[in-house]
Amino acid sequence: MKARRDVYQAIADPTRRMIINMIASQPHNVNTIAEKFDVSRQAVSLHIQILVDCGLVVVKQQGRERFCEAHLEQLSEVSHWVGQYKKHFEKKLDALETYIEKIKKERNGKQKK
Amino acid sequence: MENKKNNTKDRELFLSRTLNAPVALVWEMWTEPEHIVNWWGPNGFTNTISKMETKPGGEWDLVMHGPDGTDYVNKSIFREVVLHKRIVFEHVSFPHFITTVEFEARGEQTFLTWRMVFDSAEILEEVAKKHGAVEGMKQNAEKLEKYLAAQNV
Repeated sequence: MKARRDVYQAIADPTRRMIINMIASQPHNVNTIAEKFDVSRQAVSLHIQILVDCGLVVVKQQGRERFCEAHLEQLSEVSHWVGQYKKHFEKKLDALETYIEKIKKERNGKQKK
Repeated sequence: MENKKNNTKDRELFLSRTLNAPVALVWEMWTEPEHIVNWWGPNGFTNTISKMETKPGGEWDLVMHGPDGTDYVNKSIFREVVLHKRIVFEHVSFPHFITTVEFEARGEQTFLTWRMVFDSAEILEEVAKKHGAVEGMKQNAEKLEKYLAAQNV
């Protein structure tokens, strides 16, 4: 089975989230990123590779150094789904409002009789 | 990681609304199965509540029946029930999350806040995405239904 490579996979790991945070404001050299973490350089490289595969990071060669640049447009996909999910609960409240009106009418009716 | 416990912003859903009914009525709608069964669940769904013990430690078993016949089983445990103030319940079937509903009496109206806190941002995103997929399929089914109905005219 092919490994999942999408924005959700990218942000599923805390190290990857920290890498994204680090490079979000400005590109960082791969070595600088690796130094910030307690895990091995290889592990950091693998995380960066996953971020590249998921389309959130682009690695650019500058002389002898490799820089990671964040491409975060895709992250908006996540907030889009969460927003949709929230609407689902807003609809429940709409249904509650409608139901309350119905119950109020029923009970008022009974009182008048 | 430490502040993750306190800061739930990235893993919660928060809604609030002023409802046009006194708190006693809103409370009744939320805590009595014969009422909540009528408004809980998405459009086109029906609900069966086999158990709803609105008291701390009480169980709430609810099955939502989707328009396509799929059943969604939900089990929750009430953690806190404070009359006309607050209900806290824990959804123990997947996805795990804790819901806090607070009621604030404002004369003939009630200000309601509704907070659902998931275990992690990833779970919330995963669930939201799956839900989006289900919604999408539902909409497609509805479109197909409408299309077929139009064909019969």
